[in-house]
Amino acid sequence: MSPDVNNRNHHALKFDFIMQNEGPDDYKQLKESITQRRNSAAAQKSEIQELNYRNSPLLKLPTEVLLQIFNHLDRRDLYSLLTVCREFADLIIEILWFRPNMQNDASFNKIKAIMKLPKLSTHWDYRSFIKRLNLSFMTKLVDDDLLSLFVGCPKLERLTLVNCTKLTHYPITEVLKNCEKLQSIDLTGVTHIHDDIIYALADNCPRLQGLYAPGCGNVSERAILKLLTSCPMLKRVKFNGSENITDETISAMYENCKSLVEIDLHNCPKVTDKYLKLIFLNLSQLREFRISNAAGITDKLLERLPNHFFLEKLRIIDITGCNAITDKLVEKLVICAPRLRNVVLSKCMQITDASLRALSQLGRSLHYIHLGHCALITDFGVASLVRSCHRIQYIDLACCSQLTDWTLVELANLPKLRRIGLVKCSLISDSGILELVRRRGEQDCLERVHLSYCTNLTIGPIYLLLKNCPKLTHLSLTGINAFLRREITQYCRDPPPDFNEHQKNSFCVFSGHGVNQLRAHLNQVMEDRAYLIDHGDMHALFHERRRRFMNGGADMDDEEMTLWARQRGLGLLQSVDNDGQGMSDINREIFRELNEGNMGPEEMREHFQRLIRNHHQHRLVERQFTGAEGQGDEVHLENQDPQNAPQIVQPAVFPNGNQAIPIVNVDEDDDIEMQLVSLFPRGPQNS
Amino acid sequence: MSEPKVILVSFDDEKFPVDVQVAEKSVLIKNMINDLNPDGLQEDFEIPIPMLRSTVLAKVLEWCEHHRNSEFPDDDDDDAKKTAPIDEWDKNFLKVDQEMLYEIMQAANYLNIRQLLDSGCKTVAEMIKNKSPEELRRTFNIVNDFSPEEEAAIRRENEWAEDR
Repeated sequence: MSPDVNNRNHHALKFDFIMQNEGPDDYKQLKESITQRRNSAAAQKSEIQELNYRNSPLLKLPTEVLLQIFNHLDRRDLYSLLTVCREFADLIIEILWFRPNMQNDASFNKIKAIMKLPKLSTHWDYRSFIKRLNLSFMTKLVDDDLLSLFVGCPKLERLTLVNCTKLTHYPITEVLKNCEKLQSIDLTGVTHIHDDIIYALADNCPRLQGLYAPGCGNVSERAILKLLTSCPMLKRVKFNGSENITDETISAMYENCKSLVEIDLHNCPKVTDKYLKLIFLNLSQLREFRISNAAGITDKLLERLPNHFFLEKLRIIDITGCNAITDKLVEKLVICAPRLRNVVLSKCMQITDASLRALSQLGRSLHYIHLGHCALITDFGVASLVRSCHRIQYIDLACCSQLTDWTLVELANLPKLRRIGLVKCSLISDSGILELVRRRGEQDCLERVHLSYCTNLTIGPIYLLLKNCPKLTHLSLTGINAFLRREITQYCRDPPPDFNEHQKNSFCVFSGHGVNQLRAHLNQVMEDRAYLIDHGDMHALFHERRRRFMNGGADMDDEEMTLWARQRGLGLLQSVDNDGQGMSDINREIFRELNEGNMGPEEMREHFQRLIRNHHQHRLVERQFTGAEGQGDEVHLENQDPQNAPQIVQPAVFPNGNQAIPIVNVDEDDDIEMQLVSLFPRGPQNS
Repeated sequence: MSEPKVILVSFDDEKFPVDVQVAEKSVLIKNMINDLNPDGLQEDFEIPIPMLRSTVLAKVLEWCEHHRNSEFPDDDDDDAKKTAPIDEWDKNFLKVDQEMLYEIMQAANYLNIRQLLDSGCKTVAEMIKNKSPEELRRTFNIVNDFSPEEEAAIRRENEWAEDR
C-alpha cells in the first residue's frame, strides 16, 4: 500500500471514528426512524401484502427485531432480500442507501449511473436516503459533475471529500443547500475552498459539529466569523495555512463554540495567545490543539491557569515552529495537562533539556514525541525522558545534532517503540546502531527508522537492524555514502519527481517491499561470507599460517591483517579507519594464536569473536564521549558505563551560550513524513 | 423454609415456578420483581405473562435455566455482538420450526432477554445468507408482490450493492 493510501484510509477511519464516538449510535437512529414510518404505514396494505403478512410468520416479527436480523447480514444478502417483497424492500432500501458504497470502481460507476437518471424515473428517490457520503476512496473519479449528482440529499449528515482535488467550490456549495442535518464535512485536500462554501455551511447547517478545511487560505475571516456564530455546536475545527485568521477568529470560537474539543490552526501565523489563553482557561474539554509557525504564541499561553489546574482531557498538543516558547511553557504545560499523549515541539528552537525533564513527568501517558530541530537538546535530556516515559512509540529527534550513540543506547529501552527519527544526527555511528539492535534483541517491533544524513553509518549495523526488525516497513538512508551504491539503491524507491539531480542522486529510502528486498540482499551477502568462514577459508588460512611459521616466514603486516578481518565480514561491521589501535591489537593476537597453533580452528573462532565483541563494547563507551571531548568541552564523567550513566542534574554537554544553531532544511520527504498526524494535502512526491 | 419462587403464568393459565435467579434473566421480570418488592422477595410471587403460550414460555424458561450462571458481556459493543458466533447450545436449542423460533424471539424481545433474542436473530440471519430472492420467498413463505418490471428496475438500480 502506498503511504498516500495508507494515510487516506487512516484519515477516513479517524474521522469516522470521531463522529461515531460522539454522535448517537448510527444504526439505532436509522432503526427508530424506519420503525416509526413502518408503523404508520401499516394501515394501508395491499391485498397481496395482507396475504403475505398472514402466511409468513417472519413478516410478523416487530420491525425492530427484523432490523436486528438485517444487522447481521452483509450488503449482498440485503440485496437478495430487497426484491423478495415490498415489506422488506421498504426496510432494506434505507439501510443500503444510508451509506452508498463508493469504495471501488464498479459500484462507484453503477451508483453514478443511477444518480444520473431523472429523479422521477427511478423506483425510489435515492437521494432522500443518503446520510453518509464519502467520495474519498475514488478521488480520481470525483469531479464537479460527479458531486453535482448529489445535490439535494436532505438527510445528509456527513460529507467526506478528502483529497478530491478536482473539485471546485461551486458544486460543494450546491450540495450543502438545505442540508440542515449536516454534522460534519471533511474538505481535507480540497483546494478550492472559498467564502461561499463557508457561508453555505453557516446558512444551511446549524447542527454542524465537525469542519475540516485545512486548505482555507483564501477564505476571509468574515466568512469564518459568520460560520462560528451560526454553528454553535462545532466540536472540531481545522483551519490551516491562513493569513486571514487572526485573534478575532479565536475570540469568536471562545464566545460561540463552547463544545470545542479539537482546534487545528497549523500555519496560521497571525494568531497569538491573546484569546487562546481564555480558551485554555475555560474550555476544559479540549482534547487536541495544534498550531504552528505563529510567532505570537509565547510562554504566556497558559499563564491564566493556576498551577495544578487540570486540562484533564488534553491529549494532543502541537506547537511546531512557535519559536517564542521556552522551557517555561513546557514546564507549565506538563503541570496543567498531565495526561498528554502526543507532544510536538519541533522547531521550537529554545527548547532545552529542561523541557525534556519536565515532559518526563508525563510518564506512561506519553506515546508520541516530536523534537525535530530542537538543536539544544542533548543525550542527557533524551535519557531522562526515555527513562520515565517507557510507553513512547514514536520519537523524532531529527536535526538534534548534539545527540550521540548514547541516545541510541537509551532508546533501546523503549519496549513499544515503533518509529525512530534521527535524520541529520550526524554524530551517530555504527556502534550506536549496533548497540541499539543488540539491546533490543530479535523480533523487534520497530516499524519505521529514519537515519538519513547520519553520514558515519555503514552497511553492517543496518544489516543487523533489518535482521532483527521483521516489522520494518520504512528505512531511510539518504545522503549516506556507504549506501549510495547501485547494489543497494536498486531496492530504493523512486525519488520524488521535483528533486534536482543532486537530491535524486543522494536519495535512498526503502519502504514496503523495498525493505524486504534489501534485507534479503544483505542476508545473501552475509551468508556467503559466513560460509567462507565456516568452510575452508578458516582452515586454509590456518594451515597456510602454520606452513609459513614452520618455514620461518615473515610476519603479516597490518594491511594484510585488515584484509584478513575484512574477508571475514568483520570489516563491514566497522569502518577500519576509525578503528584505531584496539582492533589491530586484536588482530595481532589472532595472528599470534594462529602461529603458535595452541588452539584448533573452532576454538580459535570462538575466542576471536569474544575478543571482537568486547572490543565493540569498549569502543562504544569511548565513542560516547569522544564527540564531546572533541569539541574541547571539559566534561568529567566518573561513570563510563552508559547503562548507569548520566546524572540528570548534570549540566548539558554543550552549554548553549550564544552558539548559533544552524537551521537545516531537510529537502527530503523524511521531514514531511515526520508529521504523521498532519492531515493536510501532501506534496506531489507523496501522491 | 426454602427460597421464595417466582411463578410465571402463561396465556393458557399454566404455572411455572422458577428460582428468582432464573426469572431475572428477563430484564422486564427483574425490574418488575424489584419494583414491587423493594425489600426483596419474602414469599412466592406470581407474574402473569398473557402474551405467551405455555409451550413458548416453557422453551424460554428452559433457556433461562440453562444460562442461569452464564456471564454475558454486559456491554453495548455492537461490533463484538455482531461478530461473535452463535452459542453452540443455543444453536441446537433453536432448532425448532419457524413458527416456534419467531415466537421465542418475540417473547425474548418482549421479556427483554437480550442474549436469547440475539441468538435468534443470528439464527434467522443464517437462514437468509447466500440465497436468491426466489429461494428466500420459498424459505419464508412469501409471495412476490412486485410486478416483473418493478422487480427488474429495483435490481438494476441497486446492483452496486452486490459488489463487495
